[in-house]
Amino acid sequence: MKNTQLLTSLRYALFGALAVTTSQVNAESIAITNATVYTVAKQGILSQATVLVEDGKITALYSKGEVPESLNADTVIDAKGRILTPGFIASGNLLGLVEVGAVSATRDSSDKEADETFDASLAFNPKSTLIAYARKGGITSSLVTPYGGEKVFTGQSFVVNLSGDFDSVIAGQNAVIVSLGSNSKGSRATKLQTLSNKLEDAQKALAKAEKAKTSNKKGKEEKEAKIPSRSEQVMNDLLSGDKPLIAYADRATDILFLLKLKQQFNLNLVLAGASDAVLVSDEIAKANVTVMMSAIDNLPGSFDSLHNSLINVAKLTKAGVKVIISNSGESHNINQLRFDAGVAIANGLEKTSALAAVTANVADSFNLNSGRIAVGKNADLVLWSSDPFEISTKVDAMWINGQAMSLKSRQDALRERYTTTTDMPRAYTK
Amino acid sequence: MLKKSLSRNLVTNNLISKKFAFTLLTTSMLSLGLTACLPNEKQDAKVVINKNPYPSTYQVLPAESTLLTNATILTGTGKRLNDADILLVNGKIVQVGNDLSAEQATVIDMKGKWITPGIIDVHSHLGVYPNPQVESHSDGNEMTSPNTSEVWAEHSVWPQDPAFQAARAGGITSLQILPGSANLFGGRGVTLRNVPSETMQGMKFADAPYGLKMACGENPKRVYGSQKVLPSTRMGNVAGYRSAWLAATEYKRAWDKYDSDYSAGENPEAPKRDLALDTLMGVLDGEILIHNHCYKAEEMAVMIDLGNEFNYHSGTFHHAIEGYKIADLLAANGNCAAMWPDWWGFKMEAFDMVEENVAIVDAVKNSCAVVHSDSATTIQRLNQEAAKVMFRANENGFALKEEDAIKWITANAAKSLGINDKVGSLEAGKNADVVVWNMSPFSVYAQAEQVFIDGAKVYDRFDDKYQAKSDFLLGQQLNNHVNKAVSNSATK
Repeated sequence: MKNTQLLTSLRYALFGALAVTTSQVNAESIAITNATVYTVAKQGILSQATVLVEDGKITALYSKGEVPESLNADTVIDAKGRILTPGFIASGNLLGLVEVGAVSATRDSSDKEADETFDASLAFNPKSTLIAYARKGGITSSLVTPYGGEKVFTGQSFVVNLSGDFDSVIAGQNAVIVSLGSNSKGSRATKLQTLSNKLEDAQKALAKAEKAKTSNKKGKEEKEAKIPSRSEQVMNDLLSGDKPLIAYADRATDILFLLKLKQQFNLNLVLAGASDAVLVSDEIAKANVTVMMSAIDNLPGSFDSLHNSLINVAKLTKAGVKVIISNSGESHNINQLRFDAGVAIANGLEKTSALAAVTANVADSFNLNSGRIAVGKNADLVLWSSDPFEISTKVDAMWINGQAMSLKSRQDALRERYTTTTDMPRAYTK
Repeated sequence: MLKKSLSRNLVTNNLISKKFAFTLLTTSMLSLGLTACLPNEKQDAKVVINKNPYPSTYQVLPAESTLLTNATILTGTGKRLNDADILLVNGKIVQVGNDLSAEQATVIDMKGKWITPGIIDVHSHLGVYPNPQVESHSDGNEMTSPNTSEVWAEHSVWPQDPAFQAARAGGITSLQILPGSANLFGGRGVTLRNVPSETMQGMKFADAPYGLKMACGENPKRVYGSQKVLPSTRMGNVAGYRSAWLAATEYKRAWDKYDSDYSAGENPEAPKRDLALDTLMGVLDGEILIHNHCYKAEEMAVMIDLGNEFNYHSGTFHHAIEGYKIADLLAANGNCAAMWPDWWGFKMEAFDMVEENVAIVDAVKNSCAVVHSDSATTIQRLNQEAAKVMFRANENGFALKEEDAIKWITANAAKSLGINDKVGSLEAGKNADVVVWNMSPFSVYAQAEQVFIDGAKVYDRFDDKYQAKSDFLLGQQLNNHVNKAVSNSATK
């Protein structure tokens, strides 16, 4: 195993420096023993369990009493009963696209020209100082959702892990984003119409192409068959269900319209924001649509969000809706995700549902091989000092693709500098 | 007892309004009769600036004597009392301790609960940047001139902002509403009691000093630099402050001279009133407290010197992301620093955040560390904001306890606002502002169950009767359909 890895890494090295830092290099095996494992899977919570990690994947999960006598692992970590969860998956943020909010030259999250083809993953910066800080909150990966320009389609989302490595982008262009709802410059109807028309046109074009393929003899016509443009291809990906459509919408009328579109075009729909979702929770549950929302936005920020409440996540979950808890705001403080989930728990959400809302529900909705502790899943794991949602708790250890991650950020370096006793100027303390 | 105190308040208010009317009358008479002023001439009525033209009309809500027993009490003075009681009578705290008893008081067993002073937010824009966040309600930043010391945030407050109710459910009993930070001088801030009212005056914290919002750094220079108006740089910011304080110094000298000449029996001409300079003079007189939006260490150090140059105290630094770099300086100069636990990165001046900022500032002798929100969302959980600081700091060498950290959102906040003689701690004689929590307020699962302001219950998580609702939200969720039973009976 190790030799293969060495060869692989040598081979990468030949391609240049970029490959040397990729996360596939390290294939150390790890056994985390005596853990309270929150699987977020059928097994539920396993006490005194052992998780085996090889080649960046979870290869075995032993509950109490099932642990083999000799564990063949390079590193054995005794969790001493502490809680091990899947790494949390943040969503709906601009991680790696914005370094300093008000410094426009550090903002790659939007563009006037952006449309459905806008691929912001090309701009992702794995060396952003936000990433190490986010890890301190137990976040191991994130669904990043750029907000494009002024068009109804604001671009495509992508998924990254928080390893800080150059190959952090797990899935580029993994979903298409639309932004709907109230509009100070015109009517909300225009965007709804544009979305609907684009889908309809794409469906017609596909049908026409299909018809042309089957009814015409080989030769000239086929040659002339139009290659879909990049924009058309995006629509086709939505129609085939290959890509989810993330739709930012709050008012119930917009949500119902989207549910209708989902039915009409067989879309893989994810609702985002969704302040009014509680008004139509049965319809959303019936349509099997995931809702991505904040757990702490409880004020009527606009006339589209008069029903915001701290109990909405719990209400929707009870109604059978799959809910993803997203941070509100940009991305500098996404490590607060666990506290937002804690607030949802304080307001009626089951703890296991809260955990799923920041792990498995994201993975399921966006087809990620993470979010659960199960054999075959990416070894994105967090060992917590205690209850993951509690403020007094901290991350004791974290693994991304089976690699142990540092839990120090630039903030720690600053604190250490200014709490170290010295008779020299602070600039000498490094 | 309650009725008595109510009528006493009404009498005082009448007196104030009478006095106000008198001042108006004499001022207008004076302006008509101004000619020359000779030493032995009969004196005209003295011109006096009415410093409280929009007085508080706040009335304590219906209250009864209450004895809360068997709770864990964090006093706000650094003490934690276990299985302790607190007695609230006539709007005041009468006693805090163990095994208290009181005749004619309603006794409520609070076993398992935690009790803290009412939570105070020194930095809020509720009512001036309310929800819904529509343009018509955006009244917090008079972005028309770098010095708008003449504007008062209280004149923008929309008391129906639903966020006031949400903040009350989070234990907020007093809060300072500030103008925004676009200007070097943004105008006056006002401290409110967090009670429902149709008017700003009905919420106004009687006898709380006014605040003056100043702003360092990026915001003023961005807003005015883009209009090609001073300031476009940080040095422009400081020149702007200094010019204003020079003018204020002269204005104060003119009024002081008028007062002393008048006292000497002369009949001097009163200086011409200037609303902006009234506010700045209030600072120079020590009556108005500075609340200075200022993130960076080097800028705070300059603002401290600026205060010394013009002989006023530089007050509280708000946001103070880099407070930890100059913790000694802040304490030595007696500045409070109001901080977030962890907000950062939205601007260059907010880049050097450390999660232990509050704890590092707090650790110095004579410090005044405050946790503030500046947010309609986190104001609802200022307890958790303080908790984050405490636990992160304790992971890194500090040994802070709940009884220490609670001060950041109670006693120290009251000190910053100049109301610490009335609120901010649970001590005999203080106003009975009390929050009952279902557990330690430093837990993510903590919720305020009951909130008292001046001894009156203003919020109860389990009693709809004590859950106020804004006019704005009333009737938004009505059912459009008359229910069947009713319509059937109507047709009969």
